[in-house]
This record gives sequence, structure tokens and C-alpha cells, in this order.
Amino acid sequence: MIKEGRFGFMEAFSIMAIVLVTKIFYGSPMAIIKYLGTAAWYGTLISCVGALIFFTLLYLLMKRFPQQDLFQIFETVTGKLIGKSLILIFAVFLLYKAGINITEFTAVLKVYSMPFTPPSMIILPFLIVVAAMAYVGLEGIVRTAHIFFYLVFGSLILILLLAIPSYDFNYLQPVLGYGLAKTIETGIIRTAAYDEIVFLAIIIRSLQGLQVFRKVGYLTLILGGLTFSVCLICILAAFQYTVGGEHLSGMYQLSRVIYFTRFFQRIESIFLFVWVISSVITVAFIFYISLNAYSRVFNISNHRPLILPFTFLTFMFAFIPNNFAQIMEIHLRVLREFSSVIFIFIPVMVLLLALIRGKKEVKTSGKA
Amino acid sequence: MKEKQKQNQNQNQSLFKSIISLITYKKTKIPPSFTLTESYEESGQEQDNSEQSGSDQGEKEKDEQNSSSKSRRRATKKPLSPSALKSSRVDSDAVKKDIDSNKKILEQQFHLPINKDLIIREFSIGNKQRGFIAYIDGMADKGIINDFILRPLFDEIDDESSSDQQLNSLEDIILTNDTKNLRKVTTTVTEILKGNTALYVDGLDYFITCETIGYNTRGVEAPKTEGIVKGPQEGFSENLRTNISLIRRIVRNKDLITEFHEIGEKSNTTCAVVYLNGVVNPAVVQEVQRRLKNIKTDFLVSSGMLEQLIEDNPYSIVPTILSTERPDRTASHLVEGRVAIIVDGSPFAMIVPVSMHALMHSPEDAALKWQYATSIRFIRFVAVLAASMLPALYIALTTFHREMIPTDLLIAIAKAKENVPFPTLVEILLMELGFELIREAGLRVPGIVGNTLGIIGALILGEAAVSANIVSPILIIIVAITGLSNFAIPNYNLAFGVRLTRFYFIAAGALLGFYGISLALVAYVLMLVNLKSFGVPFISIISPRTKGSRDIIIKWPIWMQEYRPDYLNSPDRRRQPKISRQWAEQDSSDT
Amino acid sequence: MEKLKKIIAFMTICMLCLGLPGCYDAIEIDEEVYALSIGVDKGINNAIRVTFQYATYMEDGGGGMGGGDEESGEVGGTIVSTVEAASLLEAINVMNAAVNRQVSLMHAKMLIFSEEFAREGVGRYIEPLSRFREVRELMRIVVCNGKAQDFIKENKSLIGSNPSKALELMFEQSKNTGYFPDMIFGDFYVDLLTPYGQPVAAYAGVNDFKQLDEGEENEKPPLKPEVDIEPGDIPRTGGTKKEIFGLAVFDGDRMVGTLSQNETRFFLMGIGEFQRGFFTFVDENEPELIYVIEAQLARKPSINARMANGVPIIGLELDINIDIISIQSRRHYEQLNNIEGFEKNLATYFEQGLKKTIDKTQKEYNADIFHFGKKVAGNFNTIQELDDYNWIGHYQEAIVNVSVSVNARRSGFIYGATPIRSTESKKGVEEQK
Repeated sequence: MIKEGRFGFMEAFSIMAIVLVTKIFYGSPMAIIKYLGTAAWYGTLISCVGALIFFTLLYLLMKRFPQQDLFQIFETVTGKLIGKSLILIFAVFLLYKAGINITEFTAVLKVYSMPFTPPSMIILPFLIVVAAMAYVGLEGIVRTAHIFFYLVFGSLILILLLAIPSYDFNYLQPVLGYGLAKTIETGIIRTAAYDEIVFLAIIIRSLQGLQVFRKVGYLTLILGGLTFSVCLICILAAFQYTVGGEHLSGMYQLSRVIYFTRFFQRIESIFLFVWVISSVITVAFIFYISLNAYSRVFNISNHRPLILPFTFLTFMFAFIPNNFAQIMEIHLRVLREFSSVIFIFIPVMVLLLALIRGKKEVKTSGKA
Repeated sequence: MKEKQKQNQNQNQSLFKSIISLITYKKTKIPPSFTLTESYEESGQEQDNSEQSGSDQGEKEKDEQNSSSKSRRRATKKPLSPSALKSSRVDSDAVKKDIDSNKKILEQQFHLPINKDLIIREFSIGNKQRGFIAYIDGMADKGIINDFILRPLFDEIDDESSSDQQLNSLEDIILTNDTKNLRKVTTTVTEILKGNTALYVDGLDYFITCETIGYNTRGVEAPKTEGIVKGPQEGFSENLRTNISLIRRIVRNKDLITEFHEIGEKSNTTCAVVYLNGVVNPAVVQEVQRRLKNIKTDFLVSSGMLEQLIEDNPYSIVPTILSTERPDRTASHLVEGRVAIIVDGSPFAMIVPVSMHALMHSPEDAALKWQYATSIRFIRFVAVLAASMLPALYIALTTFHREMIPTDLLIAIAKAKENVPFPTLVEILLMELGFELIREAGLRVPGIVGNTLGIIGALILGEAAVSANIVSPILIIIVAITGLSNFAIPNYNLAFGVRLTRFYFIAAGALLGFYGISLALVAYVLMLVNLKSFGVPFISIISPRTKGSRDIIIKWPIWMQEYRPDYLNSPDRRRQPKISRQWAEQDSSDT
Repeated sequence: MEKLKKIIAFMTICMLCLGLPGCYDAIEIDEEVYALSIGVDKGINNAIRVTFQYATYMEDGGGGMGGGDEESGEVGGTIVSTVEAASLLEAINVMNAAVNRQVSLMHAKMLIFSEEFAREGVGRYIEPLSRFREVRELMRIVVCNGKAQDFIKENKSLIGSNPSKALELMFEQSKNTGYFPDMIFGDFYVDLLTPYGQPVAAYAGVNDFKQLDEGEENEKPPLKPEVDIEPGDIPRTGGTKKEIFGLAVFDGDRMVGTLSQNETRFFLMGIGEFQRGFFTFVDENEPELIYVIEAQLARKPSINARMANGVPIIGLELDINIDIISIQSRRHYEQLNNIEGFEKNLATYFEQGLKKTIDKTQKEYNADIFHFGKKVAGNFNTIQELDDYNWIGHYQEAIVNVSVSVNARRSGFIYGATPIRSTESKKGVEEQK
């Protein structure tokens, strides 16, 4: 099997937090504000609660098989053939996800910062760094993530703080948005926005035990939920639900209105660093897990030779959408709303199956 | 025709094969790497020192076994010491029993009729037994040879009492402080090369070597590159013994161990491995020994050369070994649980393993109050950032993100640039090149003139370039700040690395602006997190996260620094009790 | 470490590949000119007429002070040029041909519409700007009662040679006087779309310096502490001819009216953005004398709104701190026995001023520029309900109660002034007692 190395709580926490939160920089706030209006900020909390419930189920599943990671459990519970095909579905979908994430990133970057650079020239260097990170492996990705964790979250907080003068929290009224029923419904559907937490179950063997798994999972979900909620509150307070629902990147727009003195204004480009870094890390992580899943299916012991073809495939995936409308209305909806079919439904089904068939890990060795 | 076709086919096949071999999957063997494993559970750190050192010993042993598996250059053969290697060429390494053949061997070894350096002086003791001494002119102290070797010998000759006993107690006659009986020619040769004197008396099957090393060396002077204001002003010199004594004078501890290794088939340079037993993790010492023993090279003259031979990642742009010319700094690292390697003839000690922040510390930090030291360190980190990224940021700002520059400044820059014919990238590269030239030339220009020339050169060049409309004045400021920042980096090697890194970022910034810089930054950090220095992750303080030493970026008050750095996995974790300032806890009534 | 070797190789490849794209987006600073202000007028032969002002890169600020060259449009270190085109952004492209460098809006500080244009609706022309990446959110929005082109022509810096600084500082004056709002583009755009209220913009004009009557000196000039002046009519001379005074009220994207400079102050107080400003009052006790105070908001105004029988009732509470700057009569208004009455007088003044201003926006314009809607929205549960009610349309029905409390905190350097002594002064001293 692939040597993945081991890392501690903070590293796992950092990577999961970055992967969860990166969405806030792109179209995600726009979509949710468009759906939920002024109720967006707690709509996402509902999604977060949904994700917490899902994670509890996932934890129960992992607890039944304390020595195995999610993919191994698939194979144990459903048998080799179905298990492997499930893993293959994961691999393909993750690759698609990586590709679409890159497209979304490129689209936003092109609009805001580099209008004349052709998309392939934006994607290519991006993919090269992603490939390098995948080459180094999980440990390298996770450590890099940990180093940039402080930068990413520090800058996020800085944007929110610096934009304080433009907030008016009265704009969060009317409180119920487009109605409570719609909020709850959309909130539950968009639980998918937090379903990246399932990755934690895939890399569980690099963590130091189930306890760390549980702690990292709950904490990152709570942190992600709070970050989303706070960011949405700030976007709503600054732009109201009308304009907030039409901005391509609410956070970027927020950094554009920062004005402190004549000297200190229009500093949004600095935050470009955060945008890029967190996107690279996220895509690299997803890309790596896709590689990992694929090599599990075909029992390949070294993922490195796969990097080049997979990079190429990602590049291809990134060119599927023709225009921004397709990204927003087809692919991102698939990723943020229907990905739960894969990331949530499959593990839960596996748990049910395990319960029904009464499967449990046979050998219970000392380490918990 | 047919043959040709066949050939073609063959060619095609081989081409086909080679193409196939290009794309088929080949299993690559990844050599296992040395990683310093956790020596004991973290929870154990609260234990008392004495208990720990006892209980850890067992686990330490395991560590050593684990760690000795890997090598950078996989040595398949059993390692041979340089002396042993030599023995394979000489017919027989053993010392002969008669004086003539021994003399002949020595003469052969040193190519005597041609080589004028080896002096062989023959004599006979009591007219019966012939003997000779051999030494290298200039390496040995002639006074010692005359007064304490030859004179006692001749006194004995005069005595002429009981000649048989003399032979047994030859060591007693010779008055030098260290004598050795060597039964092998090669070792004797090595001793002679060091400056010792070999004595042979007919009938013996060994040489007696007497310590007579005495050649001219530079005295102990103030360090050249690591000058500080507050703190000791001694630096290492070229003499290995002196250097070790300088360390020993600071760490007066019986557990301070010095091991010698000889490296270089031709130069036979002595390298000392110095460590504090019981504090250092034995796995690290073993790894150092293993690497030193398995170096096959013929010439070694400076620690810089050895550094390149033993470092973990020769391709890394940042150094993973700290070299210092200060005994006090070496001593403080030894006490923290690191190993120092000193090469004879080189006034630098190499310290392993180190992590990023150790390269950013200056020896002065320890002597300063913690508030001062901390603020200076922040300046240094700013300096590293500025030296590596400032020109890149400038170029990205002015060509990609012009909206960020305040309008007044923007128009000022545009005004200054209006008559400059070059794009910003060329301007930057021109000025950087100019600056690097001044730096390099300043080293060559003799003596005091050098410094002055550097300053004047920079001033005139900058001024002239601006008035000739070749660069814009703001750029001069950028390049100057970058240059200054580079000099503020305390480690010479790191400063070099940063100088190169700058161009890497300039390229990224010029091509894709902030986007390029951030991608380059991620790639750079990726490289950093994969670096190891003797099994210790190079940026171990940030990632992987280890229990905090309180002397990384912020230097906490010295009485708060209770533990040695965690990543070193020292068996003796605790540095000082929880309360070091015990006087502060005392009641006034006690006194 | 093989790994590292390969990473380095990767980085090298990375660098090489980066070389491929060239630098599509790299533009040297001096290859562009930066429009500082943009003016939009109604066109004659085409839809709109756009005026750009951009800084020149000549040493020592170009064509010198004031003078300028009519032909080339040089105005104090900047060049003003006007072009007619179908759309605003197309005008930029047309300009590129004329300027020979790319015109960039990255550093535009001011967007100015002529009143004529604004009354027809600016939405159509604001819209592209809100999509366009170069435009700053922080650009100021101004409506000019003449032609925007004329205003920009007069937009020059006489004090320093730095036109952008002059522009930015001009808008900073909103903080010192409160005579006009400092409205940025980002907020203006949000206000266009918001269901909570209506947008405003600063109101400007060009002064021809003919308002200072050169007639005979009046024996006793009339004392007029509160005159509403249109921008362009300030009786002054010297300095630049441009002036920003008062604000323009919008209903949606159409300008419906203006508020005078004094009403603007009350407006700014109402929305809590009034920083400081001097107010002159006629002394009740000695009608030919005045006193001057400097007012500051003690805290943001508190607004509450409730619905009673479908009619919104809005309460606006203000807390104003004042410093006494001058009391010409040297009466001791700041002392404990007088202060209550003094404060009460001022409170009534502010209350009435605010009420009058709000009334004007309700009755005359029916435009909720105070954004009371954000509080009214609290009475609705969902966005649908709010939309159904349509607050903006119902603004004029709202009952607004204003209450102001005034605190005279300080009285400058002097506390309890001693009267001026002259041969007649004894009378004054007695009166004080």
C-alpha cells in the first residue's frame, strides 16, 4: 500500500478546515444568498448540523472497523467487487470535483484579476503545483496546509474586520428570508457543501486513532459552519441580499470595499494570495485522494506513475464547462447539492448494510 | 533488401520497445529515509530527569537499530576506513622486526629521495641497538624532539648500564606527554603526517609515536562573520585541538565526548564529532558517525566541503546544516542536544540537526533581554521576506495589480518611468545584477578599499542609472532594501539561498503576478516541509507540530525555557526546573 | 532524497511552463493613463458624452497652474478630454485611440453625472460599471447641476501639483462640514437595488465667481444664519470654481430633487454619518448678535419602527454633543443655571430641522434616503412579505417622530467669559448679574 506517513491533530484539522472553507471564496455565497436571501447565514448552519449528523454516522461506521479506512470498509462490507466499484466511483467523482474546482477558480480569477490570460495558461501552472503536491504525498500536502492554515484564516478574519465600516446588521432583516420551510429545505440539500468531511475517513489511517478522527471531524465542521455563517452575515450586512446574490465572489467584493485612509484602500489583490493558496491545497488534496482511490481499486502500490495521466484528465475535466453559466448552474450544483449522493449516501448505505449483515472487524487488536 | 527490412524491423522493434518502456509502469524503489523517531511518549516529559535517563536507555537502543538502515549513497560494500583501504595496496601492513626494512618502508611510503619533508634521523643506543626517529619537517616541534626525545635517549646511551631493560621501558625514557605503540605502518604514517614523531628501535615490532605536533597556527581571534556586540568575542581557529578546547572551556562536563574520524584518502583530514552524552539522542550520533564513515573522497579541506558530503538534501536551496565560528554558540547547541562536527583546518563547527529557526537566530539573542531579542528576530524574519520577495512583489504590483498602488504613488512611479526605456523586469534584473556584481567585486578588492568601493560603487551606479534614465528611482530603493535585508540574515548559507530564491520569485511574479507568486510560494513551502536535517523535519516547529520550545521566533524569558527542543528527542528533556529563579520564591524571613 | 530532487525538477518544469504564457496581463505602469474623474453628459449626436480627466506624466505637474491650454484640455497636471459614444466603456476604447495609451479606470476617484442626465435615470450607465473589473467600489458619485464636462474642467488642484490627492481630499471635506454626503459607488449601486431605501449622491456645481455683489457696502449687512445655497452660487471668489454643496435625491435610478446644504447636514445626522460642523444661531437675547457651536453626534442615531394598522411609525432618536465656539454677547450660556434652557433651544432647532428635512423627502420626493426601511423590514418575517408591502412606495405614509437631546459638553478655552470693558461697559456687567 501507499506509504502515507502519519501526522497529528493540527495538520489534519488544518487540511480539513481549508478544504471545507475554500468554497467561501467563490460562487458559494452568491448561490446561497440567491436561494435564501437574508436567511442564508443560518441556512448554512442547518447544513452544518446536517453534516454533523452525517459525521456521527460516519464515526459509528468507522468505530465498527477501527483498524480500517473507509475504502477498506467498503470492501469488507459489500464484498470485493461492489466495494471496488464504489471506490472507483469515488475516484472518478473526485477527479471531476478537482477539475470543476479548478474551472471555478479560473473563472473567478480571470474575471477579477487576469482578464487576458488564456484559461489554459492559468490552469497549467496550477496543475503543475498540484501534481508536485500529489507527488510528495499526503504528508507533504498536509504539512503545507498546516503552514498556510494560519495565513488563510488570518486573512479571512482580517478581511472581515477591515470591512467593518461598511456593515449594517439591520440588513439581515427580514429574519426569515424567503420563508422558514425553504430555508430548512435548502439547508438540508446543501449539506453537501460540507460533505468533504468524508475525506477524513479515507485518510484515517494516517491519523492517530479514532479519537483524533472524531475530534478533527467535529471541530472542522463547527469551524467551517461558523466561518460560512460569519462570512455570509458580513456579506449580507455589507451588500444586502440583493447585491450579495449577484456578486461572483462575495468575499472578494468585500475586500474591494475596504477603505481606511487614502493610502489604505483597494487592497483586494493581497487576498489573491489566500484565494490561490487555499485553492491549490484543496485541489491537491482532492486530487491526491482520487489518485489514492484509483490505485486502491487496481492494487497499485505506487501512486506516482499515475500522476501524469491523472493531471491530464483533470485538465480535461476543467474544460468541460463552456461558459460560466454552465459552471454555476450545472457543475457547481452537482458538486454542492448532489454530491451528497456519493459522499453521504454511499457511506450511510454501507453503514446500514454493515448493521444488517452484522459485519464487524474480526480481529480486534490492541490499538483503538 | 530483406536484410534491410529486417534491420528496419529490428530498429522499429527496438524503437517500439524503448517507447513502450517510456510509458510502461516501472516500480521505482524509494530508498528508506532516516527519520528521528519519537523516543518516548510525550507524556513522559513531566518525569524527573534522573528517572528518565535511566528508563530511556532501553528504548534508545531500539532507536539506534531502526535508524541505521539507510544511506544517501547506498553503500553496498562493508565500509572501510581510509587507512584500511590503503593497506590493501601495501604488501604487508605489519611493522617488520628489523630496522632496515622498516626504514625502507617509511622511505618508500614518503618517497624519500624525492620528498624532502620527512626527516629520518638514525642513532644507536649503547652502540648496539640502532634506532631512528622520523618526523615531518615543519609539522613537528623540533624543540620537543631535541629536548624530550633525543636527549633522554642519548642520556640512556651514555648510561650504558643495562640495555635489555631499556627496551621495555622506552616509553618511560621519552618525556613527551603522549606516546603510542603502533604495530601497523599505515597508522604510523598517519601519525607522522599529523606532526608526531615516530621512534623505532631495532628489534621491536612496533613504532613508538610521540606527540610532537607543533606547527604555526593562527591564534584565537574574534569571529569574522558572526560579530556581535554583547557576548564572548572568541572565534574558532584552524587548529582542531584549540577549537575543541574552546568548547570544553564553556561546557565543563565529563560527558562531553569528542570522537575523531579521518576523511579524505589523500588529505587524511581529521574531523571531530562532539556531543554531550546523555543529552543528545544516540540515534543522531550514530547517523552522523555512519555518514562520516561512509564518505569516500580523496580530499577534504574545509567544513563547507564536508557539509556538502553529509547533508540530507543536496538539491535543497536552503542549508540544512548550521555552521558557526563561535564556540559559545556551538556549546549552547551541544547542550540542547545537538551534535557538532569540526573539521581540522577549518574555523567552523557544523551543527546538526537544525531546523529553520536555528538558522534565523543570531548568537547575540541569548545574551539579550528577551524583549530585545524578540523584536530583533521579527526584523530578521521581515528581512528574509523582503530579501526573497520584495522585487517580485514590486514587479507584480506594477505590472499586474496597479490598482493597489495608491494613486499618488502610482502617478509618481509613472512619471519616473516615463523616460525609462526598459520594462520593469529588465530594470529589476539589471539592478540586481549590478548589486550582485558590487558584492562580489567588493570581496576581491583588497583590504579596506573593498568596503568603501562597495558603498561608493552602489551609490554612483544607482545615481548614474537614475539620471541616465535607465532605471526608475523607486527601483533603486527596492533593490537597496532587498540587498540590505539580505545582509540582515544571520546565516551566510541561508542568505545565499535567499538570494537565489529571489530570482525564482521574480520569475513567478513577472509572469503571472500575485497568482504566480502564490503558486511559487506553495511550491517553495512544499519543498521546505519535505526537507530534513539529519532525520529532523526542517521546519519542525511549525509543521509537524511539536511541543513548543520557547525560543523559536518569540524568545521567551530564559527562565521559562524549561525544555530542550522537542524535535531533538533528547533523553534528557528538561533543561531546568519549573522555577529557575528560586530566589524569587524565597521568603524574606529565610534569608 | 530522491523525492526532493524530483520536486526541484518539477519546480524547474513549472518555471519553464510559466514561460509559455508570456505575460498576457502584464502592463507597465506608464503604458496606461489613469482616469481620475469620469463625467457623463447627455450626448448630441450619440447617446452619451463622456469626459475623462487623467494625470499627465510630465515633470513638475504639466502645464502649470490654472492656465492650461484650451485646445489640448490641459488642467493643472491633468488632461480633460471629452468623447461622444454609445456607451461608457466604448468611450474608453475611443479614447485609447486619441490618448495613444490605454485609459484605465482603476484609479477613477469620481463619477459625475449632469443633472439633466441624472433626472432621466442613471441605471443604464451605472450597470456596466458595476460589472467592470477595473472600476473601484470607492469611486465617488456626484451629480452636477450644470454640465459634467464643465465641472471636470474646473477640477484642478491649485494648492499642490497632485490632482488625485486634491480629489480625494475634496471628498474628505464631507467629514469636516457635513454639507454634502461622501457617497461611494459601491454603496450607490447597492442603494439602487435595495428594498430598504433610496440612493443619494453629492450635488455639485461650478461657480462663476459672480455671486459676490460688487455693489456699495451695506451700512448694516443683514444677518442670515441659515440660507440655502445651490452649488455654484456660493458667494465667494478665488480658488477653484468647482464646489460640492448639498445632495441629489434619487428615486431608483432617477434623480427627483435636491437637498440644500443645511438639509444635507440633517440628513447626515439622521443616518449617523455627520462628523462635525459649525452651526450659527442668532442670540435670542440680543438679536443682532450670534453664537456658534460645533456639533457632533454622540452616538449613532437609534431608529425603531413598528407597524400600527398598516402604517409604519418610525422613531428617530438623536444624541448630539456640542462645543460652544463663540458667544458674541459673552453671556454665560455654558453655566449651570443657563445650560438647560440653552440645550433645549438647540434641541428644538435640530428636531425641527430634521423633521422638516424628512418631511421634504416624504412629501416632495417620496424617497426614503434615510433608509428607515431597514428597520421597517424588521416587522416583516419574509422577503416576500416585504416585497408585497413595497416599503419604498409607502414611505410617504410613514409617521416619523424625531427626538433630539443636546449636551453642551465644553465651551472652548473660556468658561464664564468676562465682558469687554469700555466706557459703556458698566451696563453690560450689571445685566449679567
